[in-house]
Amino acid sequence: MKRLVPAVLVCSVALACIAAVPERGADVPDDLVAKFRERNGPIFVDWPAARAVLVITGELDGYIEPCGCTGKENQKGGLSRRQNFLRAVEGAGWPLVAVDVGNQVKRFGRQTEAKFQSIVDGLRAMKVSAVGFGPGDLRLPAEELVAAVAAVGDQPTPFVSANVGLLGLDAGITPKFRVVEAGGLKIGITSVLGDDELARIKNADVEFAPAGAALATVAAELSKAGCDHQVLLSFATPEETKALAAKHPQFDIVVTAGGADEPPLELPTLPGGAKLVELGHKGMFAVAIGFFTDKDKPVRTQRVPLDARWGESKDMIDLLGTYQQKLETLGLDGLGLVPIRHPTGRRFAGSEACAECHQHAYDIWKETPHATALTTLEEQKPRRDGDPECLSCHVTGWAPQRFEPFEGGFTGMKTSPQLAHQGCENCHGPAAAHTAVERGDVRASEAERDRLRQELVLTLATSEGKQKAVNNCLECHDLDNSPQFDFDEYWPQVEHNDPEKADTDTQAKPAEAAAQ
Amino acid sequence: MTLENLKAWQVAAVAALAGIGVGAAGAAVQRATPWSVGDLRIVSAASGPAPRIDVGETRHAFGTLGTGGTGSHDFVVGNRGDGPLTLRKGATSCTCTVTDFDAVEGGSTDGTKVVPAGGETKIRVQWKGKPPGGPFRQQATILTDDPRRPEVVFTVEGTVVPTWKAVPDLLAVPRISASAGERVTADVFTYGPQPPLVTEAVLNDPKLAQFVSLATAPLSAAEVAGETGATGGFRLTVDLKPGLPIGQLKQTIRVSFTMPEPLVAEIPLEGTIGGDLVLAGSGWDSSRQALLLGTVSGKTGLRTRVFLTAKGPHRDSVRPTVREVVPESLQVTIGDGSPIGTGGAIRIPIDIVIPPDSRAVNHLCSKQGPAGRIVLATGHPDSPEFTIPVCVAVGP
Repeated sequence: MKRLVPAVLVCSVALACIAAVPERGADVPDDLVAKFRERNGPIFVDWPAARAVLVITGELDGYIEPCGCTGKENQKGGLSRRQNFLRAVEGAGWPLVAVDVGNQVKRFGRQTEAKFQSIVDGLRAMKVSAVGFGPGDLRLPAEELVAAVAAVGDQPTPFVSANVGLLGLDAGITPKFRVVEAGGLKIGITSVLGDDELARIKNADVEFAPAGAALATVAAELSKAGCDHQVLLSFATPEETKALAAKHPQFDIVVTAGGADEPPLELPTLPGGAKLVELGHKGMFAVAIGFFTDKDKPVRTQRVPLDARWGESKDMIDLLGTYQQKLETLGLDGLGLVPIRHPTGRRFAGSEACAECHQHAYDIWKETPHATALTTLEEQKPRRDGDPECLSCHVTGWAPQRFEPFEGGFTGMKTSPQLAHQGCENCHGPAAAHTAVERGDVRASEAERDRLRQELVLTLATSEGKQKAVNNCLECHDLDNSPQFDFDEYWPQVEHNDPEKADTDTQAKPAEAAAQ
Repeated sequence: MTLENLKAWQVAAVAALAGIGVGAAGAAVQRATPWSVGDLRIVSAASGPAPRIDVGETRHAFGTLGTGGTGSHDFVVGNRGDGPLTLRKGATSCTCTVTDFDAVEGGSTDGTKVVPAGGETKIRVQWKGKPPGGPFRQQATILTDDPRRPEVVFTVEGTVVPTWKAVPDLLAVPRISASAGERVTADVFTYGPQPPLVTEAVLNDPKLAQFVSLATAPLSAAEVAGETGATGGFRLTVDLKPGLPIGQLKQTIRVSFTMPEPLVAEIPLEGTIGGDLVLAGSGWDSSRQALLLGTVSGKTGLRTRVFLTAKGPHRDSVRPTVREVVPESLQVTIGDGSPIGTGGAIRIPIDIVIPPDSRAVNHLCSKQGPAGRIVLATGHPDSPEFTIPVCVAVGP
């Protein structure tokens, strides 16, 4: 037994050496890790222990968590996985510096303000050393920006910018650069917002300076700081970023915005020798740059997909819960959601009203996931049924891509339960006038009655008709939420125009006959 | 020497060496393994017939592709070795697929594809141009049993172009004074064979039309050329006039145009119309309209800074002075105003100090502790007084 103890120790330490690579979140099942390692590739293969690691993220674009009606597990991104990845890096004993190029949000309004605050709280919790500004961030009112960004007591702001000044460049709310130390290395970091971007921002409470001139001043100051590495976070197009990098070759890590949804596997090297980092969009990837004592290979890089192999972080789930609670508390009115007029000008009746005549179609719909769409939001933890960005595709009578209700659309289970879930009228159009005429509640001429019926017809018999139907589906089954969506594959799962069964409807309406 | 006789540092050294050894072995296994973890197949280094993959291009630039379109490209993979080369699909991006690996497509029933010695095959990569378009890059990985190159990554890059695109896609006016105007613009780029002809631009709420004027003008050839793939475009100019109702501005501008088929560009116009005086700073909660300072230690006190911003035609006349402070232990100092940027707004710093050894008070904005306040005389003719509710308690 005595001989066994050191042997176990040896094995334990040896295994620890192998397991030192941060390749998964804690408590994530092996089969899940293996599945996503195979799907999105292994990471940190052949990496020895790093002297320090720079982890770069950005362009979250409001995706505080990955969305997806086809299963969040299959999507990449989210603060929760990001935090677990950062923890895994630290858990491996690699000194960490985390930075973010910016653009936490991309929309406007009270929900976006609440989301920005939550994301910045998350970045603070993750101890991100430097964060730049993106154009989406700077669309927010200054009082919201400053409340989220400014130093809190002794805790400094994580934001830095050479050319963006909240309430003025000399207001002192954010520093122009920051120098941090990790693994004995000094790393200097600054950020700029590209000239094309700042030209489009209208915010009288924010002062901007041209990126080139501002960077020249900051670069001179950074040169005196004795940094081992200098990082430029450039929220600009790749072309503008490359031009800035060419003028300031002292930056050996240059991060750009723009580019494709997915960053390249290998980081390109700019003519001056700097590594150019692209991040993709929506926070789906992080990029890690490792610094090593190995003279032959002092720098290694790794694109890190933030997929399900990282699991969920309780801290970030709690933060998400607080955010959802805030949305719930504000309600649709507090969020400033004013119902917009539907393009047809008509209002909604609810799927139960459709069933009065179209029983066959209703019975099929009732068995599809569309009929329980809102329930899926209610059952999530934290529940999402107060979140307009989720509601818009899980209830009837909302504009899916604008995240706001149409006039007469769903407003809540207490006020409009008949419009819960993804109902008939989201595809066919608002049917209140049609049902009122068919019921005899409103008198109409035969021509008017037929016109109302015809308005709600969708046909797949013509290419134009099918394209209209497909476009309608894509409003919700978009690249974010349903990347695998293929109309021809999905339609049979909800098809409700079987001619053989159509006569089970209480009345065979001309409108339905046309749809077949 | 037995293991139990080793000293701690010796154990550590042995462990480290063992770790390096096992780690190196693990790395060697990983390098020589043709497939990913979970399907381990170690390639023997023994002599004998062996495959040797030969790949020409691994990157394909397709230029532009319309949204809704499908692109495909054949990459050629050869086998220059003297043994068969086995290929298998690895990771692909979600909108990118690799075909030809099913039995019906010339592959094997197990999803592999074997290239005989001296032969070659094509790897067909397909991709879809999905909305909203923009720069596109997708990657597909092929795993091989050539230990010199266990994986090959094929990349397709280009630009997916929509029918039209607005830049920016949202016209935002973060906060403007109801007494001031503002101009915002968006460039609408089009990608059809003919330039767009604008027929109408309207707000969705006609009641606001008196405060909002809309105009369009064609983009210059140089401006169009600056957008990849664009063939035409127009600039939408929106002038917001003084007098807009205070509150959230949430409109949609519908621009109808023909190319020659009729199209409608819907561009959101959103913003906040407010008063001339606004507070900003750490602890300011705009939804509660209160400065949340929390519970402050009476021993250490507190020092913080907030800002009053002034906009509108009277901004230069704003010279705040302190009229009233509750609790009295708050020391409030108002600094000089400075223009922000081009001077559309003025920034006035307000330093708030609770000195050490202040007496305990409760103004946490609750039933037990009603809100404190800082009341300023502003000098603004329409808003002569500005009150800042303060939620704060000073503890022992």
